[in-house]
Amino acid sequence: MNEHVKRRSVPRIISENFVILILMVAVYLLMWAMDGHDFVAMNNLSSMAYQLPILGLLSLGMMIAMLSGGINLSIIATANFNGIMIAVLIKSMAGGSMLDASGAVVLLCIIGAFICSMLVGVINGLFISLLKIPDILVTLGTMSIVGGVNVWLTEGYTISDFPQSVLALGNSTILGIPSALIIFVIGAAVASFILNRTSFGHELYMMGSNQQATRYSNVSLVKVTVQQYMLSSFFAVLCSLVMIGQLNSVKADYASSYLLVSILAGFLGNVNPFGGFGKVAGTVIAVIILQFISSGLNLMGVDSFLITAMWGLIIIVVVIVKGAVPKIKKARLERKNSN
Amino acid sequence: MLLKFVKSREFFLFMFIVVFSLAITVVNPNFLTVENFADLLKSFTVLGIFSLGVLIVLLSGGFDLSFTAIAQVAQYVVVYFFVEYEVDNVFFAIIATMVIGALLGLVNGVIIYYYHITAIIVTIATNSIYIGFLYVITEGELLYDIPESFSFLSDTKIFPMVNASGAEVGICVGTAFWFLLCILVHLFIKHTVLGRSIVAIGGNQLSASRVGFNICRTTLFIYTFVGAMAGFASLIQCAVFQSVVPNSMVGHEMEVIAAVVLGGASVTGGRGTVLGTFLGVLLFAVLSNGLTLMKISPFFYQIFTGIVILLSVSVNALQDLHRKHSQVRVQVKED
Repeated sequence: MNEHVKRRSVPRIISENFVILILMVAVYLLMWAMDGHDFVAMNNLSSMAYQLPILGLLSLGMMIAMLSGGINLSIIATANFNGIMIAVLIKSMAGGSMLDASGAVVLLCIIGAFICSMLVGVINGLFISLLKIPDILVTLGTMSIVGGVNVWLTEGYTISDFPQSVLALGNSTILGIPSALIIFVIGAAVASFILNRTSFGHELYMMGSNQQATRYSNVSLVKVTVQQYMLSSFFAVLCSLVMIGQLNSVKADYASSYLLVSILAGFLGNVNPFGGFGKVAGTVIAVIILQFISSGLNLMGVDSFLITAMWGLIIIVVVIVKGAVPKIKKARLERKNSN
Repeated sequence: MLLKFVKSREFFLFMFIVVFSLAITVVNPNFLTVENFADLLKSFTVLGIFSLGVLIVLLSGGFDLSFTAIAQVAQYVVVYFFVEYEVDNVFFAIIATMVIGALLGLVNGVIIYYYHITAIIVTIATNSIYIGFLYVITEGELLYDIPESFSFLSDTKIFPMVNASGAEVGICVGTAFWFLLCILVHLFIKHTVLGRSIVAIGGNQLSASRVGFNICRTTLFIYTFVGAMAGFASLIQCAVFQSVVPNSMVGHEMEVIAAVVLGGASVTGGRGTVLGTFLGVLLFAVLSNGLTLMKISPFFYQIFTGIVILLSVSVNALQDLHRKHSQVRVQVKED
C-alpha cells in the first residue's frame, strides 16, 4: 500500500475525487448530447456562473459543519439574517430610503451585519461544545430563532432596492467574469487554505475523526467548534452578499430549499457525514455536477421539481454505485486468489 | 419511584405546560374551555401522529426527513383515486394511505440497511424524489373535492358535549385515534420483542446484533412504520383542511423532530418515551395557541419555538453533564 502511495504520479486532487470527476464529465457530455449547442453556448455558461455561487457557498459552509460530523441547519437562516440586517441597518442609518445611503454608511452596515451573523456562529459553537448538545439540535434551535427574527424584522415582506454599491458585490463583472463566481473561487481557495494549511484546519479534521483523542492532545474543543461555526457562518455571509446582488431584495424565506441540497452536495463531494473526512475540491465538483444537471434540464424545458427529483435520484445512484464498487473489487480479488 | 418521576423529563414538561397554561388563562380565560382544548388537540393531531413515527426512528438511532413527502404522496394518490372511482369509505382510505406510506417508507429502509448509508442523506434524497415526482405528475394541482366520509375523522365527536350556544364540542375521532396510537406504540415499545429490539439497536447496534436481535428486520420495520404513520396522519390532515395541497406538509419535518426531541428523545438513539413525545407535542400546541390567545404577534411564534427548543435541550444536557460528574456518588446511593 505504501509503495502505491509513493508511485502515485497523478495529483491528489484528481485521484481523491476520481469517481465524481468522471461523473462530472459524464454529466457534462450527457447534457451536451441532449441539449446540443445550447448547453455550451456562452449564454448558458454565464447563467451557470451566476447561479453556481449561491449553492456553492452554502455547500462550503455546510461542509465545514459536516467535517466534525455535524450539520448546520441554521446556515440559510443566517444568510438571510445577514441580508436583512444589512437592509435594516442601512434603512435606519440613511433614514428611510436605502438608495440615498453613502458609501461609508453602507460599509459600516455590512460590517455590522457581518458581526451579527458571526455571533450566530459563536452561539452555535458555544452551545455545541460547552453543553455537548448534538449539532443538529442546536442549529435547529438557532434556525428557528434566527428565522423568527428574520420574519419579525421584515414582517414577512420583501425588502428591495439596495444601493448600487451593495449590488456591485454580487452582480458585476470583472474582466467579463461575474463577481459572484470570483467570490466563490476566492472563498473556496480560502476554505481550502484554512482547512489544509492552518492548525485550526488540522484540529478540525482531528476532532471529526476522534473527539476524545483530540481533547487528550491538548486541543480546546470549545475553541475549535466556535471557530468552525464562525467559518460556516462566514460562508453564509458571502452567500447573502451574492444573493442580494442577484435578487436586489431580501426576504425571510429565500433559498430555503437549498438547505437539504447543500447537505447532498457535501455528501456527493465525498464528505463523510460522520465527520473527519472531506475536501473543498470534492464539494466544489459536486456543486458543479448539480449545476450542470439543473442547467441542462432547464434548457430542455424540464420542470424545476423534476430537477430536484433528479438530484435526489443521482444521490441514490451514487450511493448504490459506491456501495457496489468495494464488493466488485472483493469478488475480483477472491477470484484471483482462487486461481 | 415517585422521586424518580418528579426528577424525570416528563414531569418537568408537564409542570411547564401547567404553568404556561395558567399564565395564559390569567390573560385570556377562553383558553381553559373544552372547546378550545378540543380544537387545539385537533389541529395538532397530525403533528402528534407524525411524532410517533419519528419517535420510533429516533429511538433506533436513525433519522427520517422524508416522512412529510411520503404523507404528501399517500394523501394525493388516495384522494385522487377515491374521487376518480367514487369510492367513499374512510376505513378503506385509512388502510390505503397506510399501505402506500409503508411501501414508500420501506424503500428508505431497504436503501439504508443494504447500502449502509446515513439515514439522513438517504431520506433527504428520497424526500426530494417523492416530492419532485408528485409535482411533475400532478403539475401541482390542488384537490378540493374530498370524499365526504373523510370528515368522519375531523367532525364526528366521541363523547359529544353541548356548549352554551348549542354547538357540539368534544374530542374528534382523529384525535381519539392519536391517543389510541400513543397507547399502542407505548405498549409496543415496552412489551414486544420487536419494540425492545428497536431500543436496543438505538443503544448499541453491535451489541444488539450480538445478543441476537434481527437488525435487518428491525431496520426495515422502523422505516415502514414511519411511512405508515405518515400516511395515516396525511389522511387526517386532508380531512381537517378539506383540501389536498401538494406542499402543505413538506418543509415542516423539523417541527416534528423538534417536538419529539423536546419530549426527551435523544437524536443518538436509545432514549425516548411516548409520554414525553406526547407532552412535547402538547407543549408546542399550548405554546402556539397561547401566543394567539394572548394576542402576541405571530411573528414571534418561531422565535419562541426556537428558544423553547434550545432551553429544553440545554436542560437535558446540563442534567447529563451533572450526572456524569456525580456518577460515583449515584452508584453509592443506589447500593
